[in-house]
Amino acid sequence: MKQLAIAIAIILSCAAPRLASAQVAPPEEPTAPTAHVPCDVEAKIAGLFAGYTIDSCEQTLRTNEVLTDPATHEPVLNVTTHKPEHDPTHDQYNVRTHSAAGTRLEIQIEYTGKVFHTTKLLVHSDRIESQGPGMAILFWVFAMAAIGGALFVVTRKNLIAAVMGMVGSFLGIAAIYMMLYAHFLAVVQMLVYAGAIMVLFVFVIMILNRPEDEPVAPSGRAGQVLGGLSILYLVGRLAFILIHVKAPAAAMLAPAATADGHDWGTVKAVGTDLFTGGLFPFEAISILLLVAVVGAIAVARPLVEKAEKDNKDAHTDLGGHA
Amino acid sequence: MSAIVMDIGYGHFLVLAAVLFLIGVFGCIVRRNALIILMSVELMLNAANMTLLTFARMWSDLSAHTFSLIVIAVAAAEAAVGLAIVVAVFRGRRNVDVDRLTALRH
Repeated sequence: MKQLAIAIAIILSCAAPRLASAQVAPPEEPTAPTAHVPCDVEAKIAGLFAGYTIDSCEQTLRTNEVLTDPATHEPVLNVTTHKPEHDPTHDQYNVRTHSAAGTRLEIQIEYTGKVFHTTKLLVHSDRIESQGPGMAILFWVFAMAAIGGALFVVTRKNLIAAVMGMVGSFLGIAAIYMMLYAHFLAVVQMLVYAGAIMVLFVFVIMILNRPEDEPVAPSGRAGQVLGGLSILYLVGRLAFILIHVKAPAAAMLAPAATADGHDWGTVKAVGTDLFTGGLFPFEAISILLLVAVVGAIAVARPLVEKAEKDNKDAHTDLGGHA
Repeated sequence: MSAIVMDIGYGHFLVLAAVLFLIGVFGCIVRRNALIILMSVELMLNAANMTLLTFARMWSDLSAHTFSLIVIAVAAAEAAVGLAIVVAVFRGRRNVDVDRLTALRH
């Protein structure tokens, strides 16, 4: 819930000055609620000012987002530096963001109110921008892989081809997870689905080793009409729900760090959430997996010897097996 | 048109998940092979996971990631038990056609 509160505070801090300027000017300055997050450009600025010491770093919005408030054009990042050999109270350099667009950030260095240096920084250049043609191309490529693989699963008569289509679909889905900043889940998806479950399916198909006679069910006219109607209802219902989904204002901006300061969607962040809020489900899952392992072995175990034994002493053992 | 293609928003991810889910439902309804039906169920679980992760990103709430992790674990358990049942059924009947599994029909 802390992340949600931070997100709401950020949205409010973007929206509040705009709302205020639309109305008659209020007598006092409206104090927009701000969410203070750790300065993630501090390290870069420190690299820029070799020989300077950073005294304070204040940041009210995320660097991946806008660093200049869109309504007031006030910088929301203030860094105070000084040279260590000078007295900090007399010799202060203020670093202010001049303009920011996406991950490109232009900062100005002021010395006693006068700008003497302007430079550009690339913040978080290891991330793709959450909007733009690169994102669009990647999304469509992986979405087509996911949908094409899924269509392969439901249309192929050859079971191995169907499994390979499923693997392609799962790889596309993992890439889509990456785009949603779910790095850890993407890796888990690839390990569990494209690795373990695919091998399980291939093994079972090899064990069965039997071509399918008729891939599509000839269920009669009534069954086809019923199935078609149910799918149409599902399509309409999903469309109705999706139309009414409302995204918050800070929609496709890169996510902020979590309340614990971890990057969004990484192993640390997900692990912290899993082992604090989701500890009981985690323990329950371990029991479920144990039961599944035992159950799978019990169900799939060959029963030949047992059946022979049962046939042999069927007369004496009838009561025990009832 | 070009805005729909070039501006990737949350709607794109949600519609993609819905399409994958519908393909999974279609496979479950139409196909008769139990293995294909299990694969279609996995597809539907993945579509549900994608919706969860999209909403997580939308509302900056990380608990959906935990939920997705648990869904993946449940899906793995389901695949293991389901495939074991398929193998057991095949051993007794020499086919895995769900339309012919009518032993419980009276």
